[in-house]
Amino acid sequence: MNDRVRITVSGIRGKVPQSLNVDIASKFASAFASYLDEGRVAGCRDSRFSSHMLEMAVCSSVLAAGLDYIDFGLLPTPFLQFLMKREPFSGGVSISGGHNPLPWNAVVLLNEEGAYLEPFEGSEVFNIYESGDFKKASWKNLGAAAERDFPVELYLKEMSKWVNVQRIRESSFKVVGDLCNGAISPFIGVFGEFFNCKLVTVNDDLGKPFPHPPEPSIEHAGQVEAVVKATDADIGFLINSDSSRISFVSEKGKGLSEELTLPLCIFSLQGKISKVMTTVATSSWADWAAGRIGIDVHKTKVGQSAVIHMMGAENAEVGGEGSGSVAFSPFSSGYDALLSLAFLLDLMSKEGKRLSEIMAPFPEYYMEKCKIEVPPEMTYKVMDKLEKVYAKESPDFTDGIRVERKCLWFNIRPSTTEFILRLILEGETESLVKSAKAEIIERIEE
Amino acid sequence: MRISDLKVSISGIRGIVGKGLTPQLLMKFSEAFATFIGGGTIAVGSDTRPSAEMVKYAVFSGILSCGATPLDLGILPIPSLQIYTKEKKLEGAISITASHNPVEWNALKLIKKGGVFLYPYEAEELLDLYYQGKFRRVDNPSKIEKEPNPFELHEKRIFQFADIDLIRRKRPKVVVDPCGGAAAPFVKKFLERLGAEVICVNCEISGEFPRNPEPLPENLNLLCEAVKTSGADIGFAQDADADRLAAIDEKGNPIGEENTLALAVDYYLSNKKKSPVVVNLSTSKVLEDVARKSGVSFFRSKVGEINVSRKMVQVGAKIGGEGNGGIIAADVHTCRDSFTGMVLLLELLAWSGKRFSELKEDLPQYHMIKEKVNISFREGKRILSKLAEKFKDGRVDFTDGVRVDYPDFWFHVRPSNTEPVLRIIVEALEEGLANMILKKIKEDL
Repeated sequence: MNDRVRITVSGIRGKVPQSLNVDIASKFASAFASYLDEGRVAGCRDSRFSSHMLEMAVCSSVLAAGLDYIDFGLLPTPFLQFLMKREPFSGGVSISGGHNPLPWNAVVLLNEEGAYLEPFEGSEVFNIYESGDFKKASWKNLGAAAERDFPVELYLKEMSKWVNVQRIRESSFKVVGDLCNGAISPFIGVFGEFFNCKLVTVNDDLGKPFPHPPEPSIEHAGQVEAVVKATDADIGFLINSDSSRISFVSEKGKGLSEELTLPLCIFSLQGKISKVMTTVATSSWADWAAGRIGIDVHKTKVGQSAVIHMMGAENAEVGGEGSGSVAFSPFSSGYDALLSLAFLLDLMSKEGKRLSEIMAPFPEYYMEKCKIEVPPEMTYKVMDKLEKVYAKESPDFTDGIRVERKCLWFNIRPSTTEFILRLILEGETESLVKSAKAEIIERIEE
Repeated sequence: MRISDLKVSISGIRGIVGKGLTPQLLMKFSEAFATFIGGGTIAVGSDTRPSAEMVKYAVFSGILSCGATPLDLGILPIPSLQIYTKEKKLEGAISITASHNPVEWNALKLIKKGGVFLYPYEAEELLDLYYQGKFRRVDNPSKIEKEPNPFELHEKRIFQFADIDLIRRKRPKVVVDPCGGAAAPFVKKFLERLGAEVICVNCEISGEFPRNPEPLPENLNLLCEAVKTSGADIGFAQDADADRLAAIDEKGNPIGEENTLALAVDYYLSNKKKSPVVVNLSTSKVLEDVARKSGVSFFRSKVGEINVSRKMVQVGAKIGGEGNGGIIAADVHTCRDSFTGMVLLLELLAWSGKRFSELKEDLPQYHMIKEKVNISFREGKRILSKLAEKFKDGRVDFTDGVRVDYPDFWFHVRPSNTEPVLRIIVEALEEGLANMILKKIKEDL
């Protein structure tokens, strides 16, 4: 069951080759191209061994439907999203497993803005997929494929509108990064030079497999922590394989939770933003940071699609999640790790403080994330039961169930990718969280 | 009668782009082939059809999916691809070409180790894999590789075989028409390096074929005109994938593909090597006469390059081919090769000192009619047995469809492998007799 392909607005995800293969990828690409109907599709891929194969399948299918395919080759998804906001494309396809470990991969579909598909767009594509009624162009009207380089200068130029480049350059930060051998690797040097950083990178070889699961979580931070200490660096960072998520390491060589990326970016953007979009499963640090600079927080469902589209609906300039993901709508319609790094360098240079000093006023929260295995046929029965159990506490149903108590909140929701319930609890002390967790699990098992 | 616009057969997969030939099917077929081959490098070449790009990416992804490495050879004549596969000892190759079919068609032709097409029983096994969909998909696909100059190997191989000095001394004036096909980027330079003065017509790759790609006399007006007006010694027409050749004499008259093969074989037997000759069952009797003249044994095989080349290996024949202009010289490779054919005819021209029209006049004269009749595949069998019954006083051969021989005429009727048609070939000493026999055959359709 766990080998089933997952079809959601965040992409067609699966293990290669058991559940995701060229056949499924090409059918989705045919469905997507049929949905887009005309114009040109922007495409890119990450460095996984299976990505080029899947991209070829997608490219052929796009051409067969009569749309052109512009291939940006190995490129982080956020770069493609950045460009799509500025150039007319009908849609985009990124072959990138993102934070999923090998042998996973995904075909991620992007709308004309470069954003993940909205649910209604996604369901239209999935309907065409199911019907198998794909658009077929005649031999005269087939699309053409072309290769293009990503305009990295434009990317940096646009970025410099939102940070004080001069001030960052003058700080000449020493920065250590773990690139997870991901698609950002060929670009990081230019970024470092542009901001006058002394850059030390590890796991920056595209040709090599992932050195660790491609999530920027604190448990993978050991290498960067050690190098930061050894080189006396100002900051360290870990980026996931498609450069959409990032977490940081302080100058003391201490890894920071990826939940801290969004609140740090909120601080950095003080004066430039009026509202933050986050999710019902994101740490209260985001609320705290927004409160400190006096702006509103709005919470939506988990996932890039929901966050990005609600940012548009609610006019929130910044949005993000506890996975180390941050989007800034004037810049692009997707999560972008490198932009978050620029925001952080900007914050450090503006405050003239070291990262650990910036962290000092942050309140102590204790968070626990756990997976509860539930047979698929029981999932919704369990959720129904919990709904009744917690009815008195006026829960929020934005995504699963969220309950707020004094000094603690928790969110429980069925995973869209695995047959589990995801439970996230955060409280002021570990004991509060532990006892709430025990109580919830007991309720589920009753 | 429903005629499918997709044909999956032992000849490969063939269909109309925008109708039956979808990326998914192409991918699946490539996956079946990569599974069948079992890994290693698979070279991919194409002709100049605009759909080649779409097809190519589907093929690449299918090859990668099943653990083999695609080697992108770009636009390349099919004989060059076969020779490349053989010389580089590759596991296999896929040619993206619908050969002489119109431009809206495309197809995959499968080549195995050694640079020859799959044997029918191997193709059956591949089809079995294809229909079952049981592919050896891998979790760590390899990368696409590229080779910029694959034609060089073909040319090198031919130049080892050719008497270049002989041709250079003659310095023939040649007009060539590659039909804007796979030979277009290469053929002019190739002939120039042989010492010919070359005029190329239909040499541009435009995305549409400038003429019907089959090198039949009625499709070669521009070439014939160019030969006449330029005062050339000879004209050559190739088809879209450059395996077939038809020659034009200095007066601008097509000598016919059957005679093109006959002159090449005759020259080979008298000036290169004495060797048995193998042609297919549809090929003109001229070839039999040519073989007899040189006192070598003569064999006929089923229609299709692989059948001819297999028979050649079996009987130790160095020369042979198919009457549709497919010349095979084993010294270069056991594949139909228009480039090798041009070399043999240019040597003949230089060696004989005669005009090309005179050379054609020296051949025995027969009258041949080739016809296609649309039929459903189900009807085919019934018609064949009826014909065999009707002509039972002749020498009847069921090797491939039905062929019947009489002293003054013969005919061959077979269902095509690639189209839902019955191919009829009648050859007789007299035109009247040929027409009468054709009429008699068609009574039963």
